[in-house]
Amino acid sequence: MQEFNHIEALWASHTVDTHISAEDMLRQAKKEVSSMRTKSILNIVIMTLSMIAVTSLWFYDFQFWTTHAGISIVILAIAVYTLILYNHYRIIAGYDFTANPQQFISQLKIYQIKRHNLYKKLYWFYAIALSLGMALYFFEPLAHMPLIYRILIVIISFGWMIFCSFYVRKVVIRKDREGIALLIEKFERIYQQLH
Amino acid sequence: MSPKDALFKEIFDKNSKKIFHLCYGYTGDKDSANDLLQETFLKVWQNLDKFRNKSLISTWIYRIAVNTCLTHLRSEKRQAKDELTDNIIETRVEERSEKNEQIALLYQSISKLEENDRLIITMVLDELPYPEIAEISGISEGNLRVKIHRIKQKLTEIYNQYAGV
Repeated sequence: MQEFNHIEALWASHTVDTHISAEDMLRQAKKEVSSMRTKSILNIVIMTLSMIAVTSLWFYDFQFWTTHAGISIVILAIAVYTLILYNHYRIIAGYDFTANPQQFISQLKIYQIKRHNLYKKLYWFYAIALSLGMALYFFEPLAHMPLIYRILIVIISFGWMIFCSFYVRKVVIRKDREGIALLIEKFERIYQQLH
Repeated sequence: MSPKDALFKEIFDKNSKKIFHLCYGYTGDKDSANDLLQETFLKVWQNLDKFRNKSLISTWIYRIAVNTCLTHLRSEKRQAKDELTDNIIETRVEERSEKNEQIALLYQSISKLEENDRLIITMVLDELPYPEIAEISGISEGNLRVKIHRIKQKLTEIYNQYAGV
């Protein structure tokens, strides 16, 4: 029969390895706060690069007016979407949880609603504008191709748009909502425990 | 390194092992304990600016850790993980030396105590002064002494059962 002093001695004799250093912790802490902002910036950068790439097409010597009209609509759609993403980024960019936790949490909630509206409503304007732009653009390049290639290119392009709109969009909405909700829950829990 | 980062490093180096003991004793599982340790120090880092020297910094950190541990079990997602704890411990015990096996049994015994008792006994074993434990757990020192006496008996009983003594 062991006594409690055996337990005390056993406890005192053991050491633990936490597998984590203060540097790792600091990196982790800073990552938690800034990862959403980084993701948001990355999104904007990718959209801007796409816009530059499509804009460069505009300067080619196309024969059909529909080609330029299509490219212009695509550029406009990407520009408006990028501007909306930038506005969303600004909602969370200037706030620090350590400086004003309540304000930070309320900004996160606004961000969550805006993101939800973006994918639920605004996305369709973006998708329709892109489809219209692509349809107009395709008149010229497809005019010189055999029928089978025309059909294949149209099916692949619009099939991809439909796949993104009905499948990818839903996955993104779910992941985005869960990710932001988890962050809000986490920051609210931290705030409640310390105030 | 900024002054805040340097201060955090010092605090982490001084307190992380004891906080890990607390989390490990609470969950009985090293991986969950590491998660809780990280969550605790994430809160410490984010709220370091607000710490006013009303109590010892170690008391403040312990209180954060205790809240983190208690919230952890209430989270539905984690509960499923908690049910696996016994299996995790039992599997790992087979791979250990005799002393490590005794220590694993001890953690397993602690994880069988009531939620708050687990946290209190870990602080007792880490030799925290009674007034500090009373402040962290929010009970009077008189009640705490009675409670600790009862927890010690209960823990010894469970440990002996597991050890087959």
